[in-house]
Amino acid sequence: MNEVLILARKEMRDAVASGWLVVFAATFAAVAMLLSHIQADSGSLGDQGFNRTTAGLINLCLLLVPLLALILGAGAIAGERDRGTLATLLSQPVSPLQVLFGKYVGLTLAVWGAIAAGFGLAGAFMVMFSSLSDIEHYLMFVLLSGLLASAMLSLGILVSVFAGSRVKALGIAVVLWFVLVLAYDLGAIGLALAVSPSGRTLVAVALLNPAESTRLLAIMSIERDLDVLGPLGAYLTDRVGTAASRGLLLAAIAAWTAAPLAIAARGFSRQDA
Amino acid sequence: MLSATNVTKRYGKTTVLDAASLAIEPGMVTAVIGANGAGKSTLIKSVVGLIRFEGSITINGMDVARDGRRAREMVGYVPQDPAFHSDLTVSETAHFYANLRRLPATRALAAIETAGLEAHAGKKAGALSGGMRQRLALAIAQLADPPVLVLDEPAAGLDVSARLDLRRLVAEQRTAGKAILLSTHWLEDVPYVADNALVLDQGKTVYAGPATGLSAASAAGSKLFLRLNGHSPEAMTLLERMPAAGSIARSGDWVVVSCAATDKARMVEALVGAGIGILDFRVEEASVDAAVLHLQSLRGNLS
Repeated sequence: MNEVLILARKEMRDAVASGWLVVFAATFAAVAMLLSHIQADSGSLGDQGFNRTTAGLINLCLLLVPLLALILGAGAIAGERDRGTLATLLSQPVSPLQVLFGKYVGLTLAVWGAIAAGFGLAGAFMVMFSSLSDIEHYLMFVLLSGLLASAMLSLGILVSVFAGSRVKALGIAVVLWFVLVLAYDLGAIGLALAVSPSGRTLVAVALLNPAESTRLLAIMSIERDLDVLGPLGAYLTDRVGTAASRGLLLAAIAAWTAAPLAIAARGFSRQDA
Repeated sequence: MLSATNVTKRYGKTTVLDAASLAIEPGMVTAVIGANGAGKSTLIKSVVGLIRFEGSITINGMDVARDGRRAREMVGYVPQDPAFHSDLTVSETAHFYANLRRLPATRALAAIETAGLEAHAGKKAGALSGGMRQRLALAIAQLADPPVLVLDEPAAGLDVSARLDLRRLVAEQRTAGKAILLSTHWLEDVPYVADNALVLDQGKTVYAGPATGLSAASAAGSKLFLRLNGHSPEAMTLLERMPAAGSIARSGDWVVVSCAATDKARMVEALVGAGIGILDFRVEEASVDAAVLHLQSLRGNLS
């Protein structure tokens, strides 16, 4: 078997054994089920199929997925280095790039598995209360969550390569999560109020944060109403069209996945073990 | 088989290894000797490609800096403090590393057996004692039966019996034609295990040559402690006449003579031959620090 796949399998096993993914999938499924149950009780679910629940899950997902992915990514290299196992691993006939990509692939598959499990359980529960209408939006959101996880894992691994220790890496990961997920919106609102930025600036603000790009993409997929999309979404669809906006946002997420991983790979291959 | 030329490692302006060179042929053992911080581990890690370095290291013609992955296919490495994934069992650990080297599972099982770890195969690697971790590291280093073995302080933390086992293992591997590089700060191990020695002090090479040449280095360092049967004054007079004896002193009931490691037996023979009974004796070998100091002084006298 290819070395990258051997390392990926080991990483997947470690990630699952750590318990984080199980907790995430269970929490996510439980909240999604609760949400759909409440909506079923209030009678709103029947009309809207999966859409209401999907909309309700966006914020939860944008909170949990980046946190999980950043933390797992941050521990990947720094953890091995702290435990002394990195030197043992790199003394084998594997290159640093194979180790890094093996870890990334393993973690990505593990997180995608957890997302699929969480959404899958919730989806199965929802089918009991509603029709299958709009299920494609739900599935699209599952895919977007996976893409967001890939980008955040890439950022986490970048942190892991350059942080001196696991504790430091985890600390930086939590700060990054706070900035990208919690503080970013407030910062953007502050910017909008302070300098009345142009539409292009607003687009740049969205593209500079994979969580924001994912949020916009998710909303665009579910609801094309300009009021729901907000000023940035409205500007994007108005100026470049819906399809091009989606392409732009997807490209931003892809860039957020590739660039940190490429920088991490370059840095890692030049580091002493 | 293994060749290192002018290997230098700098951290900023600090040079921790300065132009170290060595060459090891199949069936030969080279010991890298030095106190803590001398640069032994830096040289060893450079050879395995774990750190970046200046100079050149080749293993069977493969350049470690340029093609580390292929060079490492020919190396089995035992780090100073072996670390394994604590959640894997001994068996899973061996299988994981066998997989990485594309070896069949039977090799992993054989390695566990050879290392005498079959009774612990189901035990988590995190629960192993230091000695057992060392054995597992040796087993993994030999999984692919590589032509080069690199052992970083393999005797550290081992008890006397384990150290003897290690000496035996090194001797077996040498006989099997392996090129072996090992680091140690136990000077007394060197004549038993190594053909050549490289002595480092603060990154600089103070000796490179046959291991037997190191006996001169320990000349003033070895001490022979003798408890005599009430004949200490006569013994001291006799020993003072022997050119091989260095300083002679009394310490309580003991007479302490400094001498070369190779002259110890001659001292005892001379005393017994003169009818001076020896009630007890012990030997204190030269420390690596003393040997390095001696080598430095020799180098200073030559230059």
